[in-house]
Amino acid sequence: MTRSDQPSAVSLQPTGHHPLGAYVHIPFCRQRCHYCSFNTGPYRPAAMDRFLAALLREIDRGGEAEWAGRVTIGTVFFGGGTPSLLEPEELETLLDRLGKRFALAPSAEVTVECNPESLTRDKAEGYRLAGVNRLSLGVQSLDAGLLVRLGRLHSPEEARRAFEAARDAGVDNLSVDLIYGLPDLDLPGWEATVRGALAWGPEHLSAYGLTLDEGSRWHGEGVAGLPDEETVTAQYWSLARLAREAGYEHYEISNYARHGFRSRHNQVYWRAEEYLGLGPGACGFLGGVRYGNVKPVERYCAMLDAGTLPIGTHEILTAAQRKAERRILGLRLSDGVPFAWLEDKAPLVESWKELGLLEVADDRCRLTEAGFLLSDSLFVELLEPRS
Amino acid sequence: MAPPPRIRNFSIVAHIDHGKSTLADRLLALTGAMDPKKAVDQVLDSMDLERERGITIKQHTVCLPNRARDGQEYTLNLIDTPGHVDFSYEVSRSLAACEGALLIVDAAQGVEAQTLANFFLALEANLTIIPVINKIDLPQADVEGTRRQIAEILGLNADDAIPISAKVGTGVPEVLEAIVQRIPPPAGDAAAPLKALVFDSFYDPYQGVVVYVRVFDGRVRRGMPALLMSNGRVYEVQQVGVFTPEMKPVEELSAGQVGYLTAGIKRVADAKVGETITDALRPTRAPFPGYRDAKPMVFAGLYPVEDTAYQSLRDALEKLRLNDSALTFEPETSMALGYGFRCGFLGLLHMEIVQERLEREFGLTLIITSPSVRYRVVTTGGETVEIDNPSRLPPIGEIDHIEEPHVRASIFAPTEFMNPIYRLAQDKRGEHRSLEYLGKRVHITFDFPLAEIIVDFYDRLKSISKGYASLDYDFLEFRPADLVKLDLLLNGDPVDALSVIVHRDKAYEKGKALTEKLRAVIPRQLFEVAIQAAIGSRVIARETVKAIRKNVTAKCYGGDITRKRKLLEQQKEGKKRMKQVGKVEVPQEAFLSVLRS
Repeated sequence: MTRSDQPSAVSLQPTGHHPLGAYVHIPFCRQRCHYCSFNTGPYRPAAMDRFLAALLREIDRGGEAEWAGRVTIGTVFFGGGTPSLLEPEELETLLDRLGKRFALAPSAEVTVECNPESLTRDKAEGYRLAGVNRLSLGVQSLDAGLLVRLGRLHSPEEARRAFEAARDAGVDNLSVDLIYGLPDLDLPGWEATVRGALAWGPEHLSAYGLTLDEGSRWHGEGVAGLPDEETVTAQYWSLARLAREAGYEHYEISNYARHGFRSRHNQVYWRAEEYLGLGPGACGFLGGVRYGNVKPVERYCAMLDAGTLPIGTHEILTAAQRKAERRILGLRLSDGVPFAWLEDKAPLVESWKELGLLEVADDRCRLTEAGFLLSDSLFVELLEPRS
Repeated sequence: MAPPPRIRNFSIVAHIDHGKSTLADRLLALTGAMDPKKAVDQVLDSMDLERERGITIKQHTVCLPNRARDGQEYTLNLIDTPGHVDFSYEVSRSLAACEGALLIVDAAQGVEAQTLANFFLALEANLTIIPVINKIDLPQADVEGTRRQIAEILGLNADDAIPISAKVGTGVPEVLEAIVQRIPPPAGDAAAPLKALVFDSFYDPYQGVVVYVRVFDGRVRRGMPALLMSNGRVYEVQQVGVFTPEMKPVEELSAGQVGYLTAGIKRVADAKVGETITDALRPTRAPFPGYRDAKPMVFAGLYPVEDTAYQSLRDALEKLRLNDSALTFEPETSMALGYGFRCGFLGLLHMEIVQERLEREFGLTLIITSPSVRYRVVTTGGETVEIDNPSRLPPIGEIDHIEEPHVRASIFAPTEFMNPIYRLAQDKRGEHRSLEYLGKRVHITFDFPLAEIIVDFYDRLKSISKGYASLDYDFLEFRPADLVKLDLLLNGDPVDALSVIVHRDKAYEKGKALTEKLRAVIPRQLFEVAIQAAIGSRVIARETVKAIRKNVTAKCYGGDITRKRKLLEQQKEGKKRMKQVGKVEVPQEAFLSVLRS
């Protein structure tokens, strides 16, 4: 990774083989969750306004690129932070601007991450009318005590109501986020959460194992009651089983979907396709360059005020790195990768096959659900040799 | 040089740290052989390593001119000896070149194990022994007690002991006078055929091997064809001389004299200590008795930490061998450690010295495997095979029995430490031979398998005796023993590099210790790893490394792929030094934990 004080030194030029994804980062929350290490700060209306102005400027700046008119945006994902702090009007402005500067495909998947406490029926309907067609609800758990421990601002009941409000508002593509491996979460407790969420009938379910990443409160202070590996593993398997029984496809390591409802945006990542990163700390991938915007909101705004793109870091991938990434990312999906991509790793493929972690069929290599659980051990072997 | 009646050839012997080198320096200064202004402490110990450790590894020799009280000029040849058990053969050859020896006893420590060992060596060489009680300036010096020990333990006349302080110089003139008065002049016939004993040598890049000789009969001079009687080689003598301590050429060396010769000899191994040199045209009838090849007793693998340093290690070992005929080495390949050498040493100290010289003088960084001994395997076919590497053991069916080298060890210690010493000895398969009470101290002898005392014996002895026990040992013989090869298996695959030969009685304990050790350092894999210790097909210990259950970065938020790749790269970094054993990945430290144990 090269750090550059002159971010414009890097030229971002999409190859344009596929529609682009666009990730938009909304860096504010009413309260930071205790496990969260994302780039987010306390919500203040004035700060939000200043930020939104800068974000529009960033879209404008991007739109000035000579290639902007030639690309189509196929997916938009508003992540955070808490994007559901945005008023429908604000969201509409952002989407309009994106559509004006780039071509936004009529069929584009537009997702907004929502926190249950800030999602009402009206807001959901407003979002839908503004062009949003998918909501991802940060439920995390349906255990009231755990939600408090996590630092969440909603109860299980409020989560359910938010979900129903979105349905009522006509949003027909809803995703629920859950976390397993939480402190003092036992297997029955987890299964209750999974069953409860599945009973709502979401189109999509994401479930992550808790990690204590640097920057999170729990990483700094520590947290008691973390379940052992055995328990966490059992939670993964029970989720896989319950989701399958409910008719969901386990299409990515952490993601489940009903037929036809995979997250198109996330698949852009796994297929190593290109995407814009907008907002502080957002990451993008254009023309073989991975880049990241500066993280502090103030700095992000100041750079855009000054007329520069807020890119903080960038990395120009070598052909070998691209190859390594393509197979590592591709194997996260149940679709796997063409067998030919792993031809140079035949003994590895063979031993993973023997262990039941990988399957080869129809000229493709796919990780099994057991393989998903150990995927990093394989990916390590697929990294490009250090130059 | 004075005529033979006024030559005295002598050595100084002592337990380690009793002041041998300090006395040697004093003698040099007093006789003017060394300019006090240029004095570097303990000039005879010229290698840095020797000075740091306070022990003499390579012996040196020096010719001291001395005007005795009778007004006559004498030549005193001080033949220095190495001061450690590993080198007792070399000591015995040096002593064979002398007529007398100063036996130093520390007035505060008294007689110690190596005092006794050296005393016996001097006795065997028929030397006149002059007891010297050193360090009488110390507050805790017990001169009378030491005298008593000299009489009781060594059977010498206590009144003959000379109390001195080599450090401040007290009594040193008396020592010089006693050398002249008590040690007999060399006998020998200068007219007889040349008969000279090699007692040391070193390699000089310009002159080849410089051979230290004591001439017993005849004379040796430049141009003479010298025959080395053990190997039958003949060399033309190029130079003869004496050490003052610098090398100083002389016309000739004749019966009774001590000095050096060069003869274009290429390797130290061609003129070994104990060799007899004679005149090829008029050879002496028989060589000196007692010549033997210095045989390595302790073996270890030496591996460069960086694979690329293999050739440098080979070159360095070649260079060391020029000067060290006791060092042996042959290439060895270890799955765990790559390419290296199996080296043979006289003992542990010798091994440490070689290691340190390789690291210090040649800038190498080494991995040294745990030392082992050479076993003698008698096959069912009646053949005897010597092996120094467990992986070369013949199949069990072909082994009739295995013999292992034993040593006789002599331990001196205050009586209060007797019990722990006996316990240690028992733990190390020691066989008690004798016990002697010497006032407040005891002298115990045991027979030990050498294998038992080359690993952590000396340290433990020192630790259980608060540092007071002293140890000396000498090779005894090979004895049959109930030895077995203990194999370590990972998921059923034996790991050659980790096999060890152990006594059957200790196999279980050892197997348990090694499997536990491995379990602690082998990381969890995608499958369960069974670590087994087995004798033949019988598993005697087992540990399990459970399979890793999950290793996944579930979350990959907002497309931050770079961060994910970095995390993977960190994981990869940790796997760098892993070796593949079957399907099991074994970190280098796992091998080391066994090989160094």
